[in-house]
Amino acid sequence: MEERGGFYKSVTAIVVAASLVALTACNSGDTKKSDASATPSESSTSSSQSAPSSESASPSEDPVVEITAWDLQPADSPIKALKDAQFEAFEKLHPNIKVTHIDNSQSNGREKFLTAVAGGEGPDISEPAFPDMQVYIQKGIAADITDLINSSPEKDRFIDGSFDLATKNGKIYGIPDYMYSTGLLYNKKLFKNAGIDHPPATWEEFATTAQTLQEKNPGTVGFDILGMDWADWHFEYYVWQAGGDLTELQPDGTVKLQFTSEASVKALQYYKDLKWKYKVTQKNVVQDYPENQKDFYTGHSAMILGGSSISDFTGKGMDPNDIGFAPFPVGPSGKAPSQVGGAFYMVNAKSSPEKQKAAFIYAMFFMSKEQQEYFAQFYQDNGLGLNPLTVVKDLDVTKYIKDVPADFVAAVQKAAADPHLEYYLKSSLSSYLVKPIQKILLDPNADPASELQKAQVLAQKEVIDKYNQDVLSGSAQ
Amino acid sequence: MENQLKLQLPETNQKRSRIRKKIRWTPILFLLPSIIVFFVFKYYPIFDAIYISLFNYDIINPPGKFIGFGNYEEFLSSHTFWLAMKNTFIFFILSLALVFWVPIVQAVFLSNIRRFNGFYRVLYQIPSVLPVVAGVLLWKWMYNPDRGLFNYLLGKIGLGPYGWLNDLHMTKLAIVLPGFFASGGVGVLLYYAAIQSISSEIFEAAKIDGCGPWRRIGMIILPNISFVILIQFIGFMSGVLLSFDNIFVMTQGGPADASLVVALMIQKTAFVQSRFGISAALSFFMFIVIAILTVIQFRLQREED
Repeated sequence: MEERGGFYKSVTAIVVAASLVALTACNSGDTKKSDASATPSESSTSSSQSAPSSESASPSEDPVVEITAWDLQPADSPIKALKDAQFEAFEKLHPNIKVTHIDNSQSNGREKFLTAVAGGEGPDISEPAFPDMQVYIQKGIAADITDLINSSPEKDRFIDGSFDLATKNGKIYGIPDYMYSTGLLYNKKLFKNAGIDHPPATWEEFATTAQTLQEKNPGTVGFDILGMDWADWHFEYYVWQAGGDLTELQPDGTVKLQFTSEASVKALQYYKDLKWKYKVTQKNVVQDYPENQKDFYTGHSAMILGGSSISDFTGKGMDPNDIGFAPFPVGPSGKAPSQVGGAFYMVNAKSSPEKQKAAFIYAMFFMSKEQQEYFAQFYQDNGLGLNPLTVVKDLDVTKYIKDVPADFVAAVQKAAADPHLEYYLKSSLSSYLVKPIQKILLDPNADPASELQKAQVLAQKEVIDKYNQDVLSGSAQ
Repeated sequence: MENQLKLQLPETNQKRSRIRKKIRWTPILFLLPSIIVFFVFKYYPIFDAIYISLFNYDIINPPGKFIGFGNYEEFLSSHTFWLAMKNTFIFFILSLALVFWVPIVQAVFLSNIRRFNGFYRVLYQIPSVLPVVAGVLLWKWMYNPDRGLFNYLLGKIGLGPYGWLNDLHMTKLAIVLPGFFASGGVGVLLYYAAIQSISSEIFEAAKIDGCGPWRRIGMIILPNISFVILIQFIGFMSGVLLSFDNIFVMTQGGPADASLVVALMIQKTAFVQSRFGISAALSFFMFIVIAILTVIQFRLQREED
């Protein structure tokens, strides 16, 4: 538990640091006028002039290194123009690094990635999410880039603790890419129609608010719940709000399931009530998360849970002034932690040292001050709404979030003040937890406690017993 | 010299004969590319899967630790596997009841249509031109309980609303149902061709003897096209037992594992949990199951013949 506790402390530190960066607007020491409105190539040129040696342009006599990056944006992406311009700028700056960009933006990206890795065709650089990063480090997919990071003067530009989630046994495996916190997203317009002027703050208030929203906005649902095969993702928030967690890491490294804890049962009972007692969810409770998002930005749903990246909705045409963000309503515990999410740049452990170095240079290019500012400016210019959290100290986010409503920014800061990581062993246990959640949402007679009990027995037998056995015998990493 | 010549002649003929035999490998040369492709993309993965199934597969340093039949023992003792097996066979029975016979009926009707026969044959082929995933997505949209077409139309006549894919008891039926409406394709043509190959004299004689349409189907048509039915059944059986795409697109095995089938479990084990060893073991197990069922089917058919 100490290890987990320490881990949480570092997560809290990272998010607080990220929030502070956004809040304090570190203008004082930054005399350099922002060149973010410049074209990326101009920006990159300035980067090459001001960047330290490790980030400077590759000398033309260097041998050409070809790398593959899974970062191509699909044609309908609102940031396609931005990324394409950045790719072009990188090519100009580093003519000896040829990058093949591949689109991996589909929902089955994880599967595609693992297939490629298993086939020896994994990309040289990729951007896995936090929970995946931890799995990939454990499986040896992520390259140890400690030396590259430590020799880079850019390292100090990242906020304190930002490497922690990609660090194991003192070795660094990832470069922080971005970070977000989660909370309640609500449609201000629908709230106004219903005569409600503030987001719900408690479970009870949430349910009644959703009911009122439905009544006053015919044809809409109060809340799009997540019941698809990622259902445990949002469900864990409710367990936290009820004062528990779904797994507990023991001091000896073994894992104890908490599916049947009082908090888990209360959380699932609340899910059941939202669906069957208050009747405030959509009928298609097993729809995909993108469909939940679509319901939200098309005004079919008044509330959903999601990340602090407002661009997910503004990019689809939603007016930023209609988007409200709030910390989750508190549950019986009186608390409502926010999940910390984000991604790292990860270098392929199987790539040659030359490719690994090239991939590192590539990732650091995007994290350079100039590219971060160009990125932020693009978001502002296109009304996409920048995520108020950042992983670098020298990006003055406040300059680029003028289009983001002030209350949204304040709510993101507030939500981020109490961060929480996803439950331990999520990738192995997810399918076991989704079953009782879906059962509760689809069968009014299903009992939360007994469904969770069944799931726990099964998960214990098929996952935990073996995992703990491996931990105790020393074969699990 | 003459004797030598006489002695050499038969040898020369033998050589020529051998050469002629050797020359016959020309067709093999033509077949070679497809044989190579078949081995590379069919047999090599099968044998590789058998090999992988014996390891606790490590995707970074393959093949990992040798564990013998450990993967097989693990999935055979797993509740999830037996649930997936049960679901797989329920899908098979549902498909058999709702889908398999449809092309046979269509072909029987088609064989009795004289006017616009070609037009109807084309009509039956059109659904098979539509990509499977596109068709499944269309059905998924129509099943949507919030905004789907089915609940809307059924609501007009006072029925529903139904949960379709959101109903634990209706999910399997909802997944199989598109097969009932959109079956046909090549199957219809095969059955139709088989029916056409039955001598018209047999039908004429049966009619004269007072044999009605149902008896003609049961006593003449079905026995005469039984081999085509068998071949189609074997393809159908392996197709259903390994069905993946329609279930993956519609429910991904949900809700609450109501549509979890073995093929989906193979995919999830490999690409979600990155446990390629156990996934390969599952694949090989299904290969054996289907092979056994196919052999049984052939033997039963032989006994009937």
